[in-house]
Amino acid sequence: MKRLLHLLRNRDSLAGLAIVAVCAVAWRLTAGFDEVPAMLSQNVPPTFFPRLVIAAAALLGGLLIAGGIRRRAGDMARRTAEGGPSARHGEAGRAKTGDPATPHEKSDRAALSPVFWATAGVVAAAGVLIPLAGTLPTLGLVAIVLPLLWGERRFRLVAALALGLPGAIYAVFTVALGVRFPVGQVWNLL
Amino acid sequence: MDPTGLSIAFSLLTDPVVLGLIVAGTVAGVIIGALPGLSSSMGVALLLPFSLYLDPVPAIALLSALYCAGTFGGSITAVLINAPGAPPAVATAFDGYPMALKGEAGRALGIAAVSSVSGGIVSVLTLLLAAPLLARIAYSFGPPEYFALGVFALSMLASIGAESPVKNLVGGCLGLLIATVGIDLTTGVERFTFGVPQLLEGVQFIPVLIGLFAVTELLNQARHLGQESVIAAISALRLPSREDFRRVRSTILRSSGIGVFVGVLPAEGSTMAAMIGYNEAKRWSKAPEEFGKGSIEGVAGPEAANNAATGGAMVPTLALGIPGSATAAVILGGLQVQGLRPGPYLFEEQPSLLYGIFLAMLLANILFLFIGLFGAKVFSRISLAPRTLLWPTVFALCLVGAYGLNQSMVDVWIMIVSGLVGYVLKRNGFGPAPIIMGIVLGGLIETSLAQSMIIFDQRWSGFLGRPIAATLLLLAVIGVGGPRLRRCLGGLLTRIARSARRT
Repeated sequence: MKRLLHLLRNRDSLAGLAIVAVCAVAWRLTAGFDEVPAMLSQNVPPTFFPRLVIAAAALLGGLLIAGGIRRRAGDMARRTAEGGPSARHGEAGRAKTGDPATPHEKSDRAALSPVFWATAGVVAAAGVLIPLAGTLPTLGLVAIVLPLLWGERRFRLVAALALGLPGAIYAVFTVALGVRFPVGQVWNLL
Repeated sequence: MDPTGLSIAFSLLTDPVVLGLIVAGTVAGVIIGALPGLSSSMGVALLLPFSLYLDPVPAIALLSALYCAGTFGGSITAVLINAPGAPPAVATAFDGYPMALKGEAGRALGIAAVSSVSGGIVSVLTLLLAAPLLARIAYSFGPPEYFALGVFALSMLASIGAESPVKNLVGGCLGLLIATVGIDLTTGVERFTFGVPQLLEGVQFIPVLIGLFAVTELLNQARHLGQESVIAAISALRLPSREDFRRVRSTILRSSGIGVFVGVLPAEGSTMAAMIGYNEAKRWSKAPEEFGKGSIEGVAGPEAANNAATGGAMVPTLALGIPGSATAAVILGGLQVQGLRPGPYLFEEQPSLLYGIFLAMLLANILFLFIGLFGAKVFSRISLAPRTLLWPTVFALCLVGAYGLNQSMVDVWIMIVSGLVGYVLKRNGFGPAPIIMGIVLGGLIETSLAQSMIIFDQRWSGFLGRPIAATLLLLAVIGVGGPRLRRCLGGLLTRIARSARRT
């Protein structure tokens, strides 16, 4: 069991497990679809196609898990044959001696920088802010926060973008194309 | 060929607005292609919501022009800064950048421009001839054939770009599953709507598209901040000399043929065409040892092939409603959102639209020769635009594009979630193109499968009685299982040979 868990610790197997889990949830959701008489559905119920796709995805997820395990087992066997650190010191030794990982493993380990997380936060926050502060102020804010976050220190350029971008979008979309953007609850309260 | 449709298309293209849009699409395409991180797929995805304010002909002409020019634009940065602006230009950098380092950037870009235009024109002419023929064949297609065609197109995902065929197929399934969200048209039952009324009509294609292409790339860029590019000097762009042209003409012709063929195959795009074009150019070259060190054939091969694939990809897109590439899938989505159903009947009902697309692509190809020749120096500067200002602008356009379609915040959230999930998927080796293909093909596959099952009285064996459908399904099985089967057989034969040697 311990060996199996160890073998599962690779990107493809974990992705495969996630896919199978998502498929299980999706299958469960299909059980909640309304029942339809066979006459009405002409024997093709609303669950038919989604379940077919879910089954195919789960099968492919299983293939990913198996492929990942096979590759990991192969890597481990090769290391053992070469007398590498994992063979001499076990996994803990491998970590200590900084033994070279496979490209897959390296990719697994590559840490995401704080700037990345902050950018993802800005992306998500924009969706929350638009209904609150309005579209154009949110776009202006994005045009200030993202460049500063990414290390831009030419403040005049940032200011020009923060003013110019919402201005240009207003001119093109609201004035020329007639798109009405959310004004924002905050402004309604004022 | 329908002469009336062609003449109407000509008259449409003489409209200054349409002409202006094609020029704008071409310039925007070259710029987008030249900007590292921005591809023609993303450009078309970003422009799609805005094109909906236009009539179908100018809208699709604009997107098609951008598609053609974007494929070429990637070569500018590939040659000058060894950073392909778009994936199809990856192979161009192999020899283009070494040429630039030798002070021959102008010559490399000249070869790239001429090869791209040649490949593009060959492909548009093919499109003009082949698409109506294919559409005529498709008249005899019923639901089983369309289902088989959809499955065949999805099976081709096993052989495209990203790192694992299985992951591409999973992406395709994910797309199909997303396409099932909303009310089932046969029974009226809600599926995966979670009580959100905006989801009753299904997940809107455009916000998913923008999220998967643009927001995912924004996050990807956030991971690679601080990587500076060094631009190679470019004095003047040169048209190929007579000697250069003599050396590359057969490469251009061969690669154009390869590009058109690869482009016509569902789901296969310009990137694969370019890689095959490069390999074949090397294989047939009299000086293969020069490849990788600055061979002009190494630039001409992939450039002719990747642009030839654009027209090729539009053949199944327009004639069958099956996208030939990721960008073609986006254009197909655009046609659907415009209320048009690509396929054989489109040739009958809207010939002017189709010929308008052909002519727009032809015009775009001719235009980017001049834009490439005279504007390369400017575009090479644009390619160095600060990412810190470029990407916030792209994200603002994503927000506006996702919202503008239905003026709904749900679409904005779909776009954001697609982007975040798309990034997680991309980090784990799942590309966005298969998901898009799945979404675009989902409706067609589900409907045609349901109709087929009714026709066959729930018997899957019914497909075997339809020769075209059976052949396509067989090809799909070979497409998915072929490489694995070949490896297994190869391994088995090696083992047998080894044991025979031992005994």
